[in-house]
Amino acid sequence: MRLTDTIKRAGRSLRNAKARTLLTSLAIGVGAFTITLSLAAGQGGRAYTDEIVTANTSVNELLVTKKQPEANSGPKKYEDTGVSAMAGSMSNPGAADIAYLTQDDIKAMEKLNNVTSVSPNYSPSVRYITREGQDRYVVESVSTFSPSVTLKYAAGSVDGNLANDEIILTEEYAKVLGFSNPSDAIGKTVEIRADKLSAPVSAPENKLFPFKVKAVSSKSGFAFRAQGSLLVSNDAARELYEYINKDTRAYGNFLLASVQVNDEKNATSVKDELSTKGFEAQTAEDVLGAINTFINVLQGILIGFGALAVLTSIFGIINTQYISVLERTQQIGLMKALGMRRRDVGRLFKFEAAWIGFLGGAIGSGMAVIAGLIANPLINSALKLEDVTLLQFNPIAVASVIIGLMIIAIAAGILPARKAAKLDPIEALRTE
Amino acid sequence: MIEVKNVTKTYGKKQNAFIALDNVSFTIPDGASVAILGKSGSGKSTLMHAMSGLDRPEKGEVVIDGEDILKLKTKQVDKFRASKIGFIFQSFFVQANETVSDNVSLPLEIADIPRGERKKKIQAALEGVDLSEKIGSKAKNLSGGQKQRLAVARAIVNSPQIIFADEPTGNLDSVTGDKVEKMLFGYNKKNGVTLIIVTHDPELAAKCDIQINIKDGKVESIRDTKPATKQHTRKVVS
Ligand SMILES: Nc1ncnc2c1ncn2[C@@H]1O[C@H](COP(=O)(O)OP(=O)(O)O)[C@@H](O)[C@H]1O
Ligand SMILES: [Mg+2]
Repeated sequence: MRLTDTIKRAGRSLRNAKARTLLTSLAIGVGAFTITLSLAAGQGGRAYTDEIVTANTSVNELLVTKKQPEANSGPKKYEDTGVSAMAGSMSNPGAADIAYLTQDDIKAMEKLNNVTSVSPNYSPSVRYITREGQDRYVVESVSTFSPSVTLKYAAGSVDGNLANDEIILTEEYAKVLGFSNPSDAIGKTVEIRADKLSAPVSAPENKLFPFKVKAVSSKSGFAFRAQGSLLVSNDAARELYEYINKDTRAYGNFLLASVQVNDEKNATSVKDELSTKGFEAQTAEDVLGAINTFINVLQGILIGFGALAVLTSIFGIINTQYISVLERTQQIGLMKALGMRRRDVGRLFKFEAAWIGFLGGAIGSGMAVIAGLIANPLINSALKLEDVTLLQFNPIAVASVIIGLMIIAIAAGILPARKAAKLDPIEALRTE
Repeated sequence: MIEVKNVTKTYGKKQNAFIALDNVSFTIPDGASVAILGKSGSGKSTLMHAMSGLDRPEKGEVVIDGEDILKLKTKQVDKFRASKIGFIFQSFFVQANETVSDNVSLPLEIADIPRGERKKKIQAALEGVDLSEKIGSKAKNLSGGQKQRLAVARAIVNSPQIIFADEPTGNLDSVTGDKVEKMLFGYNKKNGVTLIIVTHDPELAAKCDIQINIKDGKVESIRDTKPATKQHTRKVVS
C-alpha cells in the first residue's frame, strides 16, 4: 500500500470519530500550548537581555574588579592597607572588606597585550547641580559616558565622544532645572559643585564646574546602567574625582575599571590574563550568559510543565488507539484478508496517531501564537517596556514542536498499531 | 487450476483436538463455478480459508498455478491474495462510514494500483453491479442488497482470478439474493473467473458447475454437472 493512501485512510478514520480525535488531540494541545509559549518567552527573554546588555556594554569592553577575598573565611587580622573607610563611600559603604584597584593595578592592566585603554570608574560624589536662577538639586551619581552604550535621547544626541565641557542630563533633571521641554536645555550651561574632601573643616574648599548640555536622555527599556546618572566625559569625571578626592586616603583606589580591548576576539584571552594577575573580569558575554542561564532555567521549568501535559496525553493516545483497534476489528480483518500487509496495517494506525499528534500540536501551537499576539502589547504596557517583543514565535521552533509531538504520538501508537497488525483475519471476520 | 491435496486442519490440542478438515483433496479447473456445500459446522469456511491462504492447515497442499500457497511466506501470501483473489462475505463487511467509491478502492490500494488507473476500474466494477449512481454515497446509506453488490464490486475491481463467496446470499431475501447470484454467475461466465461459493443452500449449489459436498470435514461427494469441465478435470488429473 502506498504511503499517501495509508495517510489518507488514516485521516478518514479519524474524521469518522471526530469527537474522540479532537478530545485526544486537545490533551496534547495543552502541552503544545505550554511548550510553544515557553519557547517564545525564552526567545523573547534572551533577545531582550541581549539588547539590554549590548545597550549597556560593549563587546570590546571588560569590567574589571580586584579579586575579592574569600567570603566566610572568618575574622581577619587587621592590616593597615592605607585605604580609609572613606573609600567605601564611593560605591559600597556597607562592606569594609572590599579589595580595591590601585593606580598600580591600572598601570599593570594598561601594559597587557591587546588592551587599548583602561579607565577607572571615577563616579565622583558631587554635592549638587544647579543653574542660574534655579534651585540646587542633589546629584545621585555622575558617570562616564561611553559611546558604546546606547542611550535614548529626549533631545539632542551625541556623535562619538562627549567633549570635556559637555554633559548629558536626564529628563527629570532638565525639568527641575527649569527647562520647559528637553530641547530647551540643549546648549545651556549648568553647574555642578564639588567639595574638596581633604580640606580642613575650618577652611572648606569647593568649586563650581560649568557644563554645556549636549543632550537629554530619556528612560529606556534597555539602558539601566546609565539610567538616572548625569553623564560627562571620562576626562571631566577624572577632573571632578581628582578635585574631590585628592590627598585623601581613598584617592587612587577604584572598585571598578573598564578595560577596552582592541578586538572582540581578544576579550576572553585578556580576561584570562587578568584573572591570573589577581583581577576579576567580566565580558559582555559573561553578563549575557549569567542572565540567560536564569532565563533558560525558567524556560526549562515551563517546558517541564508542558512535557508533563504531553506525558499524560501519551496515555490518552494509547487508550484511544486501543479502543479504535477494538472497534475496527472487522475493518482490520477485511483489510488483512484482502492482502494488506502487516506493516501497512501497523502504519495505518501509526499515521492515525501521527495525525492526532499533528492536530494537537497545530491547535496548541496555534492557540499559543494567538495568545502571544494578544498578550505582547498587554505585557509591554504592564511592564512599561517599549519596542520589546517579549513572546517571540520562531517558525522553526513552532514546527519543531509540532513535529516532535507527531513523533511522540507515533511512539504512543506503536503498541495499538502492533495489536492491529497482529490481528488474525479469520478471527476478526468471524460473525457467529 | 486449483489442486487441493490431502488438506487436514485440526483445531485445539491433544484431547481437545478437533479435526475440522480431514484429508481433503479435489481439483478445480480454471473458470469453473464451484459450490462447497454442507451443513453448518461441516468445515466449509475452514476449507475456504485454507484455499485462499488466510489459514494454514498443518497438512496438505493447495496448489494454484503450480505453486503451493501454503508454503509461501506471509508477505507472498498477502501479495497473492491482493492480486489474485476476491472475497465476498455473508455479512458484507463494507465500511459503513466510507463512500461506495472508497470501499471499492481498497483492494486497488492494497495491490498498489497506480492512482490514475483506479478511477476507471472502480467505475467499471460499479457498473458491473449496477451501482454507478451510488458512487459518492456513504455505504451506510445503502440497502442490504446494495451493500452486497458493493461487496461484489469490491471483489471484482482488481480483476481477480478466483472469487471466494462465503454464504453470499445468506443475509439477503430471495429477490435481492437472486440478483446478486446472477451478477456472480454472469461475471464468472463472462470473464472466465473461477467462482467458489460456500453455501448450505442446495438450490444455489445446483446452479454451479461443480458441487463439492462436505460432511464432518470430509469430502462426501463431488458432482460435476458440466461434462466439458469434467473432461477437462479428468485430463488434468490423469
Ligand atoms: N478457531 C476455531 N477453534 C476451534 N474450533 C473451530 C474454530 N473455527 C472453527 N471451528 C470448528 O470447526 C468446524 C468447522 O467450522 P466452519 O468451517 O466455520 O464451518 P462452516 O463454515 O461449514 O459452518 C466447526 O465445528 C467449528 O466449531
Ligand atoms: Mg461458515
